[in-house]
Amino acid sequence: MNERKDFYIGYIDDVSPATKKFLKRTVLILALVILTTAAIFSLSQQPFANSTFELSNETKISGVYHKSPYPMLRVEVEKGVYKNILLLGFGKFGANMYIDALKAKEGTLINRRLTIEGNLIYYNGKTLLQITNEQKITLEPERSSSKTDLASVVGDFELEGEVVDPKCYFGVMKPGKGKIHRSCASLCIAGGMPPVLVTTDSNNISEYFLLTDLKGQPIHSDILPYIGQPSKLNGTVEKLEDWYVMKIDVSNIEKLNKNSEIY
Amino acid sequence: MGLDYQTILWNKHKKVYDKLILAFMLMYLLVFAGLTFTFNAQTTIETLIIRAFGTLAVIMLHIILAIGPISRLNTSFLPLLYNRRHLGVSMFLAAAVHGVFSMIQFHTLGNVNPVYSIFTSNLDYTSLTNFPFQVLGFVALIILFFMAATSHDFWLKNLSPSVWKKLHMMVYVAYALIILHVFLGAFQQETSPFTIGFLSIGFVTIVSLHLIAGFNEVKTDTKKSEKDESNWLYVCRTGEIEEDRAKIFTVDKERVAIFKYEGKLSAIHNVCKHQGGPLGEGKIVDGCITCPWHGYQYLPGNGQSPPPFTEKVATYELKLVKDKIYLNPEAFPEGTEVKPVNC
Repeated sequence: MNERKDFYIGYIDDVSPATKKFLKRTVLILALVILTTAAIFSLSQQPFANSTFELSNETKISGVYHKSPYPMLRVEVEKGVYKNILLLGFGKFGANMYIDALKAKEGTLINRRLTIEGNLIYYNGKTLLQITNEQKITLEPERSSSKTDLASVVGDFELEGEVVDPKCYFGVMKPGKGKIHRSCASLCIAGGMPPVLVTTDSNNISEYFLLTDLKGQPIHSDILPYIGQPSKLNGTVEKLEDWYVMKIDVSNIEKLNKNSEIY
Repeated sequence: MGLDYQTILWNKHKKVYDKLILAFMLMYLLVFAGLTFTFNAQTTIETLIIRAFGTLAVIMLHIILAIGPISRLNTSFLPLLYNRRHLGVSMFLAAAVHGVFSMIQFHTLGNVNPVYSIFTSNLDYTSLTNFPFQVLGFVALIILFFMAATSHDFWLKNLSPSVWKKLHMMVYVAYALIILHVFLGAFQQETSPFTIGFLSIGFVTIVSLHLIAGFNEVKTDTKKSEKDESNWLYVCRTGEIEEDRAKIFTVDKERVAIFKYEGKLSAIHNVCKHQGGPLGEGKIVDGCITCPWHGYQYLPGNGQSPPPFTEKVATYELKLVKDKIYLNPEAFPEGTEVKPVNC
């Protein structure tokens, strides 16, 4: 036993008192390191947005379908007040596959009344609906008398912000923006979700702009190099009730070498 | 030491070591989750898992990398090295949870294969700040997987110790990739000076420990030695070696351990056949040279592990002129019996 003093051999149960004392002290220090690092890494996280994704809860929403140019449901929330709910698909896909399947059976859906059962996503006054199955879209028999031309021109603007995919940004992921989320946002927009420009002013008020090309058509793959990084965009802004639409030339987007300021 | 392969050769210390690993991992995860739910409750469970396991893996990797050099500088830390293998596998499991959840979260349910997506969803490979950092983490995880999968004496024996050692030295490549993964990824968005500062201190500590330990070894390796008329090399005086301990001496880039025990001197090659541990930092226990890393044993007179074990290391011839020890630089084949020199 004496010759083993202070020489540790793992497979021998006996340990010298000096080694035992040293190990106890080391374990205590390691425990403090673990506690300190857990606290530092946890408490240093930036605040998460209070956005919501109702993954386990399905809600039925009825409204008038329109595509401006991304699929939306126009819902009357109170008399004369409308909300446009952006429709999205399951996973990292847009809603077009479900809408197109119904369209193939029923003909054009524009300005028709639909009831859709899906998962709500909402944040900061905007609501989106995830459709998981075309069977959960019901075409209502009555025709809508809703007006079809909803957009009005606001003017030409130069805006600084970040292009995000709305599904993750408005609730599915936290954070749903910036470099960490960039790959996911690229997949979502490549999969048919609308790109959305988010701007935040000095008073921390955010505005959201659905991005289209100059002709008002959807853009997806062309905008992928600009997603998830602060950028400057120029274009004509239209107001679509509770949303803005911005018509842009993707080649004029300027990447800004600075930290993201949105949320 | 073992003759056949078992999943794990359990003993009391390994059990205590593993219980502490588990307790520390759980403690980290619970504290991280508890504080996050208390002070930043709007998190999602996926983000919580990704961040808690990712940061845990990074901290464990720092501890693992510190154990080697700190044990060379202060042998009191050797008990931490004894079961470092299990710590490494546990660290891989934490990293795998982080990696798999990140892949599910960010790369599945899209229009391309998730692995293809990791490499192609961000193509800014020429930019430093926009670099696709997830690729770095993915490659590091693959390296850690191969290391964890071969963390067993079966693979050590069958791959050969030198191939196994080279594979496991890849941990430094994985570490570099992980540091870049964090600095070019999370730290581009989560810019708290506390986390960036903390990891920077961790990186500097790991590099410093390795440099200090390496510098000490270089001093030993480059020490000039006088030759006698037969080209034998002067090592030291007998009084410079403690009883049952050794002096490490470098000959033609090979380290030799010269042990003093029971009034005798014997010299064997310094590198343990198990995992390359420094036998010269070991001790004679029960008449056997005992490796400080995992307790593998060799007889000082012939460099052979006592039967029924079969490991063998090269032996060297010594001579004594008064109290000056001289070494014949020509090694004998592994396991060759050499008569100890009386001192």
